[in-house]
Amino acid sequence: MNLKMLTLSSAIIFGLASTANAADADIRFDGFPDFDSSLKVLLPDFEKKTGIKVDYLMNNHGDHHTKLTTNLATGSGAGDVIVVDVEKIGPFVASGGLVNLSEKYGVDKYQDRFAAYAWAQGKGADGGMYGIPVDLGPGVMYYRTDIFEKEGVKVDAAITDWDAYIALGKKLKKDNIFLIASAADVAQAIIFTTVPEGEGLYFDKEGNSVVTSERFVKAFTVAKTIRDNGLDARITAWSNEWYEGFRNGTFATQLSGAWLLGHLKNWIAPDTSGSWAVSNLPDGIYGSWGGSFLSIPKQSKNPDQAWALIEYMTTNPDSQLTAFATIAAFPSNITTYDDALFDQPIEFLGGQKARQVFAEVAKNIKPVQPGKGDHVARSIILENALMQVLDEGKDIKEALAEAERLIKRRTRNM
Amino acid sequence: MPDGTSILEGVKMSTTLQSSTTEIEKESKPGFNWQSLSPYGFLLPFLIIFSVFGIFPLLFSVFLSFHQWNPVEGLSAMSYVGTENYYIALTDPWLWRSLKNTFWLAITSGVAQHLVAIPVAYVLVSMSDRLRHWLTSAYFLPFITSTVAASLIFFNMYSPNSGIINQALIALADSSYLGWAFGWVNDYQPIRWLENADMLKPSIAFMVFWKYTGFNIVLYTTGLMTIPKEILEAARMDGANAFHRFWHISLPMIRPFVFFAITMTIIGNLQLFEEPFVLTRGSGGTGQAGLTISMYLYKVGWEWLEMGTASAISWLLFALIAFFTSIQFIFFGKKGLQGH
Amino acid sequence: MKTLAFLKPSQEVTTFLTKAAMVLLATVLILSAILTVFPFIWSAILSTRDRSEIFSTTISFALGDSLAINYQRLLEIMPFWQAMFNSIYVAFVGTTISLLFCSMGGYAFAVFKFKGKSFLFAMLVGSMMIPPVLSLIPYFLIVQFLGLLDNHIAVWLPFTTTPFGIFLIRQHVVSSIPKELLEAAKLDGAGEFRTYWSVVLPLMKPALATLAIVQFVFFWNMFMQPLVVLNSPDQYVITQALRSVQGIPNTPWGSVMLGTTISLLPILITYVCASKQMISGLTSGAVKG
Repeated sequence: MNLKMLTLSSAIIFGLASTANAADADIRFDGFPDFDSSLKVLLPDFEKKTGIKVDYLMNNHGDHHTKLTTNLATGSGAGDVIVVDVEKIGPFVASGGLVNLSEKYGVDKYQDRFAAYAWAQGKGADGGMYGIPVDLGPGVMYYRTDIFEKEGVKVDAAITDWDAYIALGKKLKKDNIFLIASAADVAQAIIFTTVPEGEGLYFDKEGNSVVTSERFVKAFTVAKTIRDNGLDARITAWSNEWYEGFRNGTFATQLSGAWLLGHLKNWIAPDTSGSWAVSNLPDGIYGSWGGSFLSIPKQSKNPDQAWALIEYMTTNPDSQLTAFATIAAFPSNITTYDDALFDQPIEFLGGQKARQVFAEVAKNIKPVQPGKGDHVARSIILENALMQVLDEGKDIKEALAEAERLIKRRTRNM
Repeated sequence: MPDGTSILEGVKMSTTLQSSTTEIEKESKPGFNWQSLSPYGFLLPFLIIFSVFGIFPLLFSVFLSFHQWNPVEGLSAMSYVGTENYYIALTDPWLWRSLKNTFWLAITSGVAQHLVAIPVAYVLVSMSDRLRHWLTSAYFLPFITSTVAASLIFFNMYSPNSGIINQALIALADSSYLGWAFGWVNDYQPIRWLENADMLKPSIAFMVFWKYTGFNIVLYTTGLMTIPKEILEAARMDGANAFHRFWHISLPMIRPFVFFAITMTIIGNLQLFEEPFVLTRGSGGTGQAGLTISMYLYKVGWEWLEMGTASAISWLLFALIAFFTSIQFIFFGKKGLQGH
Repeated sequence: MKTLAFLKPSQEVTTFLTKAAMVLLATVLILSAILTVFPFIWSAILSTRDRSEIFSTTISFALGDSLAINYQRLLEIMPFWQAMFNSIYVAFVGTTISLLFCSMGGYAFAVFKFKGKSFLFAMLVGSMMIPPVLSLIPYFLIVQFLGLLDNHIAVWLPFTTTPFGIFLIRQHVVSSIPKELLEAAKLDGAGEFRTYWSVVLPLMKPALATLAIVQFVFFWNMFMQPLVVLNSPDQYVITQALRSVQGIPNTPWGSVMLGTTISLLPILITYVCASKQMISGLTSGAVKG
């Protein structure tokens, strides 16, 4: 064994190998894919206009937030502009580690340009803005027009309320078609979209948990009815069977965000082009699936340049439209909605002008105040309590009561 | 380059320290004996690196376990809460559930790994060099395959309607030869390997088994190769069959390796994280059936942003691993740590 | 061995049975080897397919025809070869230094008696028991304090004195290196370091080879630490580069699988080299019991 040689040569190598890397960019943008694709298009124009050079660092969604957590914890290492996903926006806004954009850059003047609910999500408890919405995920129902036609069902009749929706499922079941991939989606839709005035998703204004309220009971009950009647295919989202389901028409509807369209068209089920359409969510609700925000960490040494980039990416309709065109990031900036792009018929959806549906949804979603413990409650309710009710037949009230106890313990210090 | 020089210094120190010695006795004698420093010379790299990179995280984590800290609020946001974190952790139903899961997974996959790895290694050693080489390489592959690639494949295999496992089971049940033995399986189809709380743990254990058995085989092969051929040859001349040679000669002689491998499995399996995380997509599965302690403390610390409680859980886990490892040391350590 | 006496009459039968069992065993072993290799082959097959072919539920071993496109896209979405180079550098240097440090440490624990030995050994084993997910933040703080952010040294140096390695070497030395040999070396006038370097080290080959693979795999697959300390894309190691493009919805999976498959090759090569060393440890037969 040439251990001696190895030791020697590696000693030389690590002596010589260059280490520190001086970046020549002015600011850095930390995000997750596909932000890089839209930055590639946007940045040359931004640099031409402002002379600011931007470098970007992409990590996958989960890793990006782990890294951000470390950066905020230690007060260093974060980019000048960071992307925060809506799932994490609650704790990040409340962290005290982000720049108050209202105070420093007077962003409140832009409020009217953005979808009201998304604006509210970026707002801290002190009323200052800490994250500017950069894209949205207006929620819609995707459905198979061919199946609906064959069954002789009008979509408007099927979405009047949940009973109608379930009735449709029973009808489909006779032909061995499932209503939806997973009943969990329905519960999530109801929880997210029927928040009473003055309440947050999981907490009221005083920070008390509301997960045992009527809204959650209803969400769980509807989902359980669907499951118990065998109307859902029990397929996990983002699994191979899910993709296959879209291709083969295993299920007739899917509740999801506007962004799903791009995936269906590009790779999940390109061959089914023309047999899909979108509608509002059942029961007249408006809700969103996902969305992201741009923020500046306090540790940034170039907050002014960072703000220039955020301003450019969000308040400027052209860049919002560019991002929409390149990566199908649905604009958070509502002034873009009268652009010609929104009138285009979408071939995949049989020529439907679906973007107008998305835009209408985005404008109608009611603002919900983010809570500090939303991320905890979300994982306890959606990943655990709901699964226990659906998969293990646990009693709904009992599951919710247990979830509430857990949430209270977990958020005791918030 | 502090690191480069530290190596060289360590090397130099240990060379200069023992020049001109003919002593065999290594214990210190009256008067100052430079010789007595040489073990520390050999341990210098470990001591330096451990004190720089090891001790601080340790202290940090002890400190943290008595504080409440949301990491995104920065270092200054820590506030002292006494033993509340430990109390909260110990009275947490999820912690006990995850503890049970961890034990189940650790024992099932761990025992299976060693029961398979030792005999297989023994058989491999008696094979021709080339065959052994190819086989150990094959068994070792799972250990180096990236978790991402592996999880894609396992997801596919476990998928309820189209996965290869259920397909195979259905084929077996429907076949005319084996139908009598497997027919009952059809009553349970489609088996939801990853969604059904009862099936989830075996599914995870299988992936762990798949991934680490080969590693243990390699470890045991290395151990078995240290046994001088002459001894085995002599036993064979005496008429000992393969099983006897294995049981009475090989196994006792690789005891330090068995001890080592089992210690590693205890420590590694009680910290099981990646496989259940990937297979349950980080959620822990239905009814937390696949939630291990490591996953739980990750969730508490990094997703729920309660680093203090997570630290307390990590010390509870530490105590647990230390307990089982010391049992192993007490019962097998005497023989396991000694040579022959 | 007493039991053997009465076995003798039927020795022929025993030999035959043993042989038959060996053949059966070999078949089982080869079959299971094929099964364990399957996922690896599968990722190679997937790397020739496009995204919708990858996510199909039918199992087919046919190669796709998207290899060239996947490769092109791979180079587009990440500095693939730069990251490969970085990983090779980190893994190579880290492994080599680990071999040196761990063999020194393991040797010390195996042959010397010294003050604090039990304490140090307990600490060594104990430090393995601390769950690594939580040390990320303090690790970052130290790296920052040492000024090693965005520097590869921060990624390999802290892990070169792994308890696993020191423990493994220790066990190997006690089990296979006779005390007489060390004493003989002393009598020949060899110093402590010389004894270790010229007498013991060559005998450690099989264990060093095992350690080399384990460390190489560790450095190669390590992910969390590079994620938090390496901040510029051209410093990225390969795991980081491959993971950075994986958002569940938007991942160009064909390219990722291609990258993953290619990135396994250096580990395979290391394994093949190291496993030759294990064999040479056997055949050189330096250990005379």
